[in-house]
Amino acid sequence: MSQQTLAEKVGVTRQTIIAIEKDRYSPSLEVAFKIADVFGSPFEEIFNYQESEVI
Amino acid sequence: MDLSNRDFSYREQGLIASLFVTLIVFGGYFYSAFTKLALNPAMPSIAELIFVVILVIVFESIMQIFIRLKNTSQSEDERDRLIEKISYKYGYWVLSACTWFLLVQLLLDATFDHLTVFSTPSGIFHLLLLFFVLAEVAHFVVQLYYYRRGL
Repeated sequence: MSQQTLAEKVGVTRQTIIAIEKDRYSPSLEVAFKIADVFGSPFEEIFNYQESEVI
Repeated sequence: MDLSNRDFSYREQGLIASLFVTLIVFGGYFYSAFTKLALNPAMPSIAELIFVVILVIVFESIMQIFIRLKNTSQSEDERDRLIEKISYKYGYWVLSACTWFLLVQLLLDATFDHLTVFSTPSGIFHLLLLFFVLAEVAHFVVQLYYYRRGL
């Protein structure tokens, strides 16, 4: 699935999908659940929590 | 901050255009206003200010139309709104810090009192206008920074 298709299905821009993939944006719960729903996978299979580095 | 990625989004292109127009038009206006201030500390005419505003609107409209034609997707999402919200906070801090600096300067009436910019109504008018423009520039720059660096 292309980033553009996923973006359209979730209702965000392609740049937001790129940012999520590159770990540069943590989506809202709503968007995160929509992404999991598009892939038909459980939420925890798509996302996992990593504590961000404190600079 | 990832500057190597040149894939600028529709929003980023719009911000760069707005920043460019603001810096060029107001940069030129302030350069002319502050260099003339020592010789002629009179208030600027309304026509002069209207001309600057019209110039910004015209340039901005041309650039935004061009960017819209270039980009098929022009939607906005939660990330855009969050970045914009954060950038307003920084813009507010810039405006607030600059205004407080001017207020304290006027109140103490001391440190830079010999400068025309602090001792004439025209100078203070231009400084206040400059602070608003600086806050707007901060608003654009912070958004560009967060688009590149991520949230």
